Amino acid sequence: MTTVVRDDLSDAHRRSLAHVVSPGARLTGEQRRRIAEVAIEAYLSADPTPPWVRPFGDPALDLAYRLGRHAGTITKDWYEQLVTEGMHPVEWVEVVGVVIAALPPVAFARAIGAPLPALPPAVPGPPTGREADELAPARLNFVPVAAPADRMPSVVQALSAVPDDWNNLWQLAEAQYMSDRAMDDPLWNRGTLSRPQMELVAGRLSLIRECFF
Amino acid sequence: MLSWSSHEDGTPADVLALASGDGDAGLPHGAALMAFAEAIAGWDDSALAGARARLVAEAGEAFMVDAAAVAANFEMMTRVADGTGAQHAPDAMTRVVGLAAALGMDAPPSTGQA
Repeated sequence: MTTVVRDDLSDAHRRSLAHVVSPGARLTGEQRRRIAEVAIEAYLSADPTPPWVRPFGDPALDLAYRLGRHAGTITKDWYEQLVTEGMHPVEWVEVVGVVIAALPPVAFARAIGAPLPALPPAVPGPPTGREADELAPARLNFVPVAAPADRMPSVVQALSAVPDDWNNLWQLAEAQYMSDRAMDDPLWNRGTLSRPQMELVAGRLSLIRECFF
Repeated sequence: MLSWSSHEDGTPADVLALASGDGDAGLPHGAALMAFAEAIAGWDDSALAGARARLVAEAGEAFMVDAAAVAANFEMMTRVADGTGAQHAPDAMTRVVGLAAALGMDAPPSTGQA
């Protein structure tokens, strides 16, 4: 029997996977698709490599793998190491944007017992070059963000260097969780889970992932 | 967010139950929800199927679907935080470190400073 999923949620996941395989700020659709494949493989692997192993010897793919499976082990030191190796800080942010666009549809499908979604074919074309007009170092994140930095919470400004990935993050959040407008309403709900029940799921999963956000 | 929303909702939750995963945290279907979230965060598909079936039996399919969507959202947000070294603002850190200790964690790992 097929599980019924809200149309807005299915659409958000479909848009996110289409976003994954489209040219990004610094990466082609083909590169982004490969990054997503690696993250999904890491997320689902029955026998993942340990977090200190770099399975690909490629900064973008190694970041995708570690973020897909061992996100809580990523440190500022490792970020600086990959930047020293030649990875541009904005490319790091874009890889994070790709991974967090690819995993939610997979995690959701696995959670409800549905077939896992396939990645669409890559959209050809060069990178778009769409980045924030001005970047600034942040106190609240180790990655650069859109200037001015630190005027909003760290998780909100986190992907602001790459506006298309930032937009995708928040369209997903609105369908999966709630809109930013609803965040201030402790009684907001969709008629299924109450807000405290939503926060219970969020809190338990975040704690297991050793993340305070 | 759990503490604030449950207080405002009139069903004050036991935030410390998050750490152990025991009990229902004082919320309807709380035990089934925590078991579902824990199974999603794990990699045992049979445990996940069991937790899913329990939640559907208790609260219905639409409830389970929306719980899965919330979990998917926090599979995303935790990686945004960890992947960008997101930290709380200094004025919130004292509260966060206190909560970390109460939940049995040494420090907020997602600061990425380790």
